[in-house]
Amino acid sequence: MKYALLVYTDQSSWQALSDVESARQRAEAMPGWNRLFEEIGKADPNVVSRELASASAAQVVRVVDGKTVVTDGPFAETKEVLGGVLVAELPDLDEAIRLAALVPAAEYGTLEIRPLSNR
Amino acid sequence: MEFMALVYDDPSGWDALSQAEQEAGYEMYMAVARDATAAGALVDGGALARTAAATSVRVRNGDALVTDGPYAEVKESLGGYYLFSCDSLEEAIAWAARIPSASHGGAVEVRPIRVDEEIVA
Repeated sequence: MKYALLVYTDQSSWQALSDVESARQRAEAMPGWNRLFEEIGKADPNVVSRELASASAAQVVRVVDGKTVVTDGPFAETKEVLGGVLVAELPDLDEAIRLAALVPAAEYGTLEIRPLSNR
Repeated sequence: MEFMALVYDDPSGWDALSQAEQEAGYEMYMAVARDATAAGALVDGGALARTAAATSVRVRNGDALVTDGPYAEVKESLGGYYLFSCDSLEEAIAWAARIPSASHGGAVEVRPIRVDEEIVA
C-alpha cells in the first residue's frame, strides 16, 4: 500500500533564524535526512519526497462563480504547518511508523501518516 | 519549477453525494490528472485516505510516540495532492483552479517546492 508521510513543523522559530544559522542547522540535520532517504529508498526506490517552500509562500486557490480567486495562505491556520511530503509504497503501517520516526523533523514536529486511497 | 497543490475539503460534502455523483466527481479529479499528464505538467498525485485512518508519530527524547488520528482535527482536511511541474506560479494556479474542490466549497493550496541548492550552503 502507498502511504503519505506528512511532515508538520512550527516554522516560526525557523524563520526567526539568520540565513547562516538556518544553513548551519540544515547542514547539521542532513545526515539524519540522508539516513531516512536511504532507508525509505530501500523500501521503495520510487519514493516521492518534496520539501515545500515556507507556508508564507502559499497561495490558496478557490473558484467562485467561475472566477479564480487567489489569496495568501496557508489554508490551515495551525501552529505547525505542512512542510514536506514523502509518498512511498510500503509493506504495512508498522514500516510507515518506523520510517516516520526516522524523519529528523519528528523530533521537533509531527509526522502524520495517511494511506493513499485505493481509487 | 515544481508546485505542490494541496487539496482541502470537507469530506462530509462528498459523503452526501449519490454514488453516481461520486463517480462523476471522481472522474473530474482524474480528468485534471490526465490533462496535466498530457501537458507534461504532472509529476505525481494521489488521494489520501480519510483522517480517521491517520496515524501521528512524534519522537521526543529518543522515544517514538504513536497516536491514532491526524495532526489536527479540522473540518476541511487535506484530501489529496497534485505535484505539478510548471513554468510559473500562474500556470500552477490555473491547474489548481481546475481541481473540483476549488469550486465546491473547498480550496487548493499551491506551494512551490524547495530546491536543494538552498541546502548545500
